[in-house]
Amino acid sequence: MSVYEIRNMAIQIDGKRLVEGVDITVEAGKCTAIIGTSGSGKSLSCLTPFGLTPGEAQGSIILDGIDLIHADAHQMQDARSRLTGFVFQQPLTALTPHLTIGAQLQEAAAQVGPPRLSRHELAQKLERVGLSRADERLDQFPHRLSGGERQRVMIAAAIAHEPKLLIADEPTSALDASLRGEIMALLDELRLEKGLAMLLVSHDLASVEGHADHLIVMDQGRVVECGSTANLITNPQEEYTKRLIAATARLDEPAPQLQAVGDILLEIEAVTVTFPRPGWRRGKIKAVTDISLYVREGEALAIVGGSGSGKSTLGKAIAGIGPLTSGTISWQGQSLPERRARTISMRALIQPVFQDPVASLDPQWKVRDIVAEPVKNLQSEILRKDRDAMVLKALEDVELGEDYLDRMPASLSGGQAQRVAIARAIIASPKLLVLDEATSALDPLVGSSILQLLRKLQQAKKLSIIFITHDIASARRLCHRIVVLDEGAVVETGDMDLVIRNPQAVTTQKLIAAS
Amino acid sequence: MKALFKRDHWPLWVVLSVMALALILPAVLPWTYDQIDWDAVRAPAFSGSHIFGTDEIGRDRLARLAAGTQVTLMVAIAAALVSLVVGIAWGATAGWVGGKVDEAMMRFVDALYALPFMFIVILLMVIFGRSILLVFVGIGLVEWLTMARVVRGQVMALKQRPFILAAEAAGSPPLTIILKHILPNIAGVALAYLMLTVPQVVMVESFLSFLGLGVQEPLTSLGILVKEGADDMDMTPLGLLLPGGLLVLLLVCLTIEGERLRDIYS
Amino acid sequence: MLALVARRLMTAVPTLLAIILASFFLMRLAPGGPFDGERPLPPETQAALQTAYGLDKPLWEQAWIYVSRLVQGDFGPSLVYRDFTVSELVAQGLPISLTLGGLAIILALLIGISAGLFAAVRAGKAADKTIMMIATVATALPTFVTGPALALFFGLWLGLLPVSGTGEGWSWLIMPVVALALPVSGAIAKLTRAGLATVLKQDHIRTARARGLPETKILFKHGLRPALVPVASYLGPAAAGLLTGAVVVETVFGLPGLGRYFVQGALNRDYPLVLGVVTLYAALIILFNLFADLIYGWLDPRMREG
Repeated sequence: MSVYEIRNMAIQIDGKRLVEGVDITVEAGKCTAIIGTSGSGKSLSCLTPFGLTPGEAQGSIILDGIDLIHADAHQMQDARSRLTGFVFQQPLTALTPHLTIGAQLQEAAAQVGPPRLSRHELAQKLERVGLSRADERLDQFPHRLSGGERQRVMIAAAIAHEPKLLIADEPTSALDASLRGEIMALLDELRLEKGLAMLLVSHDLASVEGHADHLIVMDQGRVVECGSTANLITNPQEEYTKRLIAATARLDEPAPQLQAVGDILLEIEAVTVTFPRPGWRRGKIKAVTDISLYVREGEALAIVGGSGSGKSTLGKAIAGIGPLTSGTISWQGQSLPERRARTISMRALIQPVFQDPVASLDPQWKVRDIVAEPVKNLQSEILRKDRDAMVLKALEDVELGEDYLDRMPASLSGGQAQRVAIARAIIASPKLLVLDEATSALDPLVGSSILQLLRKLQQAKKLSIIFITHDIASARRLCHRIVVLDEGAVVETGDMDLVIRNPQAVTTQKLIAAS
Repeated sequence: MKALFKRDHWPLWVVLSVMALALILPAVLPWTYDQIDWDAVRAPAFSGSHIFGTDEIGRDRLARLAAGTQVTLMVAIAAALVSLVVGIAWGATAGWVGGKVDEAMMRFVDALYALPFMFIVILLMVIFGRSILLVFVGIGLVEWLTMARVVRGQVMALKQRPFILAAEAAGSPPLTIILKHILPNIAGVALAYLMLTVPQVVMVESFLSFLGLGVQEPLTSLGILVKEGADDMDMTPLGLLLPGGLLVLLLVCLTIEGERLRDIYS
Repeated sequence: MLALVARRLMTAVPTLLAIILASFFLMRLAPGGPFDGERPLPPETQAALQTAYGLDKPLWEQAWIYVSRLVQGDFGPSLVYRDFTVSELVAQGLPISLTLGGLAIILALLIGISAGLFAAVRAGKAADKTIMMIATVATALPTFVTGPALALFFGLWLGLLPVSGTGEGWSWLIMPVVALALPVSGAIAKLTRAGLATVLKQDHIRTARARGLPETKILFKHGLRPALVPVASYLGPAAAGLLTGAVVVETVFGLPGLGRYFVQGALNRDYPLVLGVVTLYAALIILFNLFADLIYGWLDPRMREG
């Protein structure tokens, strides 16, 4: 029996038609997931029928017998409050900062009207979503809770009034990778227990395929393909769906063929990084503790961990753009000192690429100057006219043409900007690239093309790579070995496939579950 | 630069026109600002060669208005530039060096912020005598605080941006990074706050002059003119309304323009 | 919360002491003394006066004596108003200045917050643009222009309100308070409007809306408090602004408040008087900043941990 049914929906904002011909069906106790990149209209399709976006919907939208298109204000309020619960992406900002958890939960439960819940009942609702010390939490303000805890509160509030439909808009994508599996499992459990109809929205096919009964793939405001999850994944009909599935790294896909590796180039030993506490307080915060690892020539090493695991701090220390408190970093036996003490010839060995491609490029500079920057400093003997040729060659290596030379960063898409950043990293022929979440801010299709580009460069130039990520599945497509970090320390290391097949540390197991 | 000719920037053009008039008028008017016309004391507007009439001792009002505007805007621009230089130097140093140095430098700014600054400036005026140089040095030294905070915030944010780290990895020395990456990226915001500092300074200068603690006779400024007008307003209201109106017009236009620039750049 | 207050007070005392000492030494370094009249006094009289007021002692000793007396509430004698102690003058002036400032800030908060709220609800409409234009103009209205202008219109021309002095009843307060409150209310309106515009776009408002709450409840229960955080942080500077504005207003309207004594004292080099007033001003501003911090903590619980 379908609880929520949308037929031939179109959405426009300010007269611009952004979504067209969308059909969605959600049944009681089942989960329908909408998959799409940013700008595909997936969130718009979910939220507009309830008046939660500036858009205007047309078509037929029936929720539990109520026609939402022709609903009056009273019916709309009824649909929003009594029938539906919402979970949003950002648990950090989705709760009102000056109201206690208890007050917000009470408000959510009161959507269906009195009676007010007793304190005990409220605490029970928090316990149901897996929060410990529930009674104490009722009096706390949201900022005292961690991201994962807040998302649990959001879920408790969303179902506090026993709605029929639960809409979850990217419920896990702002969470730490190791928490995603748990939250998705909780949603599954509640859905089955309460017979909820669930509409899930995500950009990440891998994170929903194990949870959704029905998939809808959207692109540019239209439905590309829909069907039962198993059917759609194994037997996609449309070209776009096929590309999306191919781009989504999975742990059960065949292991990739990786190139042979050479001698050890980089070796780090007992590296520790501490930061002074902010303000005048004494003491230090340890971000990275006593880490040792090595990278061979032509080898790709994955450094995997959740947020706060110290993986980026470690990457910056290696690349010489972040502090190093103690320990040694050496290159073929020669020691590489801390950031300010690195010489030009040392800098030429290692180049970084960052997560946010747009922030990686100076907004005031042209692509031509951005890419040439390392050559000017690291190979200052090279003449200006040869430099121009090198820039062109580097752009060619990242599959960008001459016409990009005079573009400004603001005019580039995320994928193009990341290619420019990679061109800057490889132009001075480094031996090692440190890639810090270099694909995770990009849409899946773009991210996977960047990953392919990296593989191509790695083979053509015999580059070594340190691939810092939270996503084991995509790391597996590129990397020989893996180092798993948790709270600034190595918890597991080894050959990529061995670790995936037989993970020892709890952190590794959680990260694998989230992939 | 071209963007400045858009219709949105009318306040800037109002200010520039007033400034141009203030510079040109003294050269073409038959009276200087301190010249007394014994035949026309408290003359009404449009009497003879006095377009806006004369004040209580027979000085041409338009000439005084032009001279006062010149001084007020000159002091404002000079003091705003002082605040720009001091603010950028202080804020950029704190933001770039970071850590305890930043903490100490910004605590100092916070402490100064909490002071009743106008009173300290008045103290300085009283103690070191009332010279125009001291007026704008004093004001500039007060107004740099906001600039320092803004610049420091911008530098802190920029320092964490990956393109700065990439420049470091590309072997650019710190000075190059500051000159080529940091400064160009804070120029817009600094310009906006410079624009917002000018009306602040105009306000402070006129305030001091109004109390008799700022610009001194025989020089004149809009604040002094407002004071003279207020003292004589029961006889000639024009004496208050003209400089007061002009002062408010300048302040409103400068504020609107500054806020517009700030909204664009931050 | 209590810890925050305690910590603030801990930093307030040294700040205050620093201000007192700094202004003390600045005053003494200045050329010219309080007894430099039009006709120079005979040297013996000079010396006698110096001894009588303790001005012949070393500077450090004078400073120490001053501070230790200050702690007991004794600001010393006024050098110019010979028959009064500074404490007496301050006791006369302070209530007037506090009434002016207090009423002005209450008026400014009332006008500013309601105008900002109204504009935010009508965001993008003509009412919003008009209110914001008026607010911008109001912010740019210096008290030394509005004060005389109000006196001209309502006092001299219309004859509705007294132009000078305290007089009978409360009507003498109207113009000074309005002149003081105008720029502050404009600034508060703009901050409220901007704060609400930011907050109403935030996720927690969407959460509240998804709960089917009525718009007014969303605005007042979920939106307003975080939107007022910028207003709270403006209160400190606003207080300083009001105190300086009060100096002008008291001069313009001939009110015997603290500000008038300050200007008179400054022009006459009446050290104890000026020092006393500066100390009081500093203490008031520090106190007001503390008060603003408390409001801050109420508006946003994240601030309570300091």
